[in-house]
Amino acid sequence: MRQKQSAADRTFTVFAHTFILLFTLFCVFPFLLMIIGSFTDEEELIAHGYTLFPQTLSLDAYKAVLQSDVLFNGYAVTIFITVVGALTALCISAMLGYSLANKRNVLQTPFLFFCYLPMLFSGGIIPFYIVVSQWLHLQNTIWVLILTMLCQPFLVFLLVSFFRTIPEELEEAARIDGANEMRVFFQIMIPISKPILASVGLFYALSYWNDWFMGLMFVDNEKLFPLQLILRRMVSNMEAAKNLIPASAAIAVTPPTYGVRMATTVLTIGPIVLLYPLLQKYFVKGLTVGAVKG
Amino acid sequence: MQYQLNASKRSKLKHIVQNPFLYAMAVPGLLFFLVFSYFPIYGIIIAFKDYNFAKGITGSDWVGFKNFDYFFTSDDFWIILRNTLVLNMLFIVFTTVAAVMIALMFNEIRNKYFKRISQSLIFLPYFMSWIVVGMIVQSLFGGEEPMINTWLQYLSLEPVNWMFESKLWPYILTVIRVWQGAGYLSIIFLAAITGISEDLYEAARIDGASKLQIVLRITLPLLVPTIMIMTLLAVGKIFNGDFAMIYAIIGDNSSLYPTTDVIDTFVFRSMRQLHDFGMSSAVGLFQSIMGLIFVITANWITRRVSKESALF
Repeated sequence: MRQKQSAADRTFTVFAHTFILLFTLFCVFPFLLMIIGSFTDEEELIAHGYTLFPQTLSLDAYKAVLQSDVLFNGYAVTIFITVVGALTALCISAMLGYSLANKRNVLQTPFLFFCYLPMLFSGGIIPFYIVVSQWLHLQNTIWVLILTMLCQPFLVFLLVSFFRTIPEELEEAARIDGANEMRVFFQIMIPISKPILASVGLFYALSYWNDWFMGLMFVDNEKLFPLQLILRRMVSNMEAAKNLIPASAAIAVTPPTYGVRMATTVLTIGPIVLLYPLLQKYFVKGLTVGAVKG
Repeated sequence: MQYQLNASKRSKLKHIVQNPFLYAMAVPGLLFFLVFSYFPIYGIIIAFKDYNFAKGITGSDWVGFKNFDYFFTSDDFWIILRNTLVLNMLFIVFTTVAAVMIALMFNEIRNKYFKRISQSLIFLPYFMSWIVVGMIVQSLFGGEEPMINTWLQYLSLEPVNWMFESKLWPYILTVIRVWQGAGYLSIIFLAAITGISEDLYEAARIDGASKLQIVLRITLPLLVPTIMIMTLLAVGKIFNGDFAMIYAIIGDNSSLYPTTDVIDTFVFRSMRQLHDFGMSSAVGLFQSIMGLIFVITANWITRRVSKESALF
C-alpha cells in the first residue's frame, strides 16, 4: 500500500469534492433565494429583485401572510387531505398488498393483473375527468382530493414485494395456533412491516401534500383550495398575492406582494423541510427495498 | 376433464368462502382501480364519438375516426410529438449523466458530515411540488425586470426577454429537470455502486491503479447495467410525460408553446379551453397506445439485459 496519494489522485479527490460542492450549491440556491426573499424589504425587492444579500430585512411578508384567512384555510384543507388521505391510502394499500402477496390467495394472478394494467395503460385525463365529474359527481367536494389518489400501483407493488419476503412459517404458525386472517394481518404482519409502512405512508403523504392537479381539475370553490393551488394562482398573477393580504393588515404603503409570494412558498414547503430527515431516511429505504422497479 | 375443472372451481370457491377476509382485504383497493382506472378505460370510446355532456359517454353519437382526422392532419400534431420526444430525450440524457457523475464523485468523498449534508441537499428538490418550482422559475425569469437579467447586466451581457424566447426553454427545462431529478436518480446509482465487491477495488489498488482509473475501469463499467435499465424505464415512460412539470412552469404562456407544448399539455388545454372532448380524448388515446408500445418494448429489452430488473 502506498502511504501518500499521488498527485493525480489528489487532483481527482479535489475535483470530486468541488463537483459535489457545486452541485449542492446549485440545488440549494433557489431555496436560499426564496427564504431570503421572503425576509427582504418590499421596496428593495421592487428595485433590485430577489438577492442573496439584501440591505434591509423585513417581516412584513410573514405578518401579512399569517393574518390571511385564505392561507389558513389552505393549510387546513391540505393538512386534512394529507392526514386522512395518507392514512386511508396506507390502509387500503397494505391490505391489498397483503392479499396480493399471499400464496394462499387462489385469485392471485387475476388480482395482480388487475392492479398491474393501470400502470401500463390509462384512459387518459378526459375520460377520467368525465367519470369523476359526470358519473361520480365528486367535483367541488373535499373527497375528490382524497379519493382520486388513494392507490398508487407502484406503492402497492412495493408492499407486495416486501410481504413476499416474510417467511410463510410465521403466518402458518399463527394460524395453527388458531389466529384467523384478521389477527394474522394486524398482530403479525403489521408490526413486522412498520418500516416499509412508514415509507409508503410518507410517499402517500408527500403526494397529497404536493398535489394540485386534482384541485385544478375538479375544484372551483376557493374554500376547498389546498395550499398548492393557492400558490399556483400567485405564480403568474401578482394581484393574487395582494388578495391574500387582508385589508385589516395595515402595512406600510406598498403591500409586500413580492415578499408574500416567497413567504407563501416557504410556508408551503415548510413542513416538508421540517420532516425532511425522516422523509429522506424512509424514502431511501423504500427506494432500495423496491430496488430499481418502478 | 369437465368434472376436474368443476372440482377445481369448487375448491377455489370453497377457499374464498372459508377465508373471506383474505379476499375482502383486497376489495377497497380493487374497487379503486375499477372506478378510477377501468371506468376511464371504458370511457376511451368517446374518442370515437361526438361527445355531448347531456348524452354522456354511452349515449353520445358515434363518429368513427373523425376526431383523429382533425388532429393528425394538423401541424400541431408534428410539433407536439416532436416536443414530447425532444424534451424527454434531453431530460433523460442530462439527468442520467448528472446522476452518474454525482454518484461516482460522491463515492470519493470520505468526510461523513460533508457526505451526509450534501446528499440531503441534492435530494431535496425532488420533494418539491412543480408549483413551487414554477414559482421559483417565475421569480427568476418572470416580471418586467427578470432577476436573471440583473445578473446578466453584472456580466455585461444583453438582457433577454425570457418569456418570449421559446428557443431557450428546452434548455431551461432541462436544467430544471436535472436540478429536480438527478439527486433522486443518483441514489439508485449509489446503491448499485455500494453493491460492487470491495475485493475488486482492493485488487486494483494493489496493482497501483489511480483513483481515476478505478472509476473508469471498475465502477463505471459495473454501473452500466443499472444505467441501461433506468434509461430504458425512462424511455418507456416518454409518452406518459411530464404534464405537471411543464404545465406548472409554462402554464398558459402561448409564446412558449412552439418548443414546450407536449401531448399532455395539448390535451389538457383542448379540454379546458376549447372544450373539445372528442378530439382531446383521441389525442389521449394515441398517447396511451404509444405509451403502451414504448413500455412493452422497453421492458422486453430490459428483460433481455437483466431478467430481474424487468417490470414484468
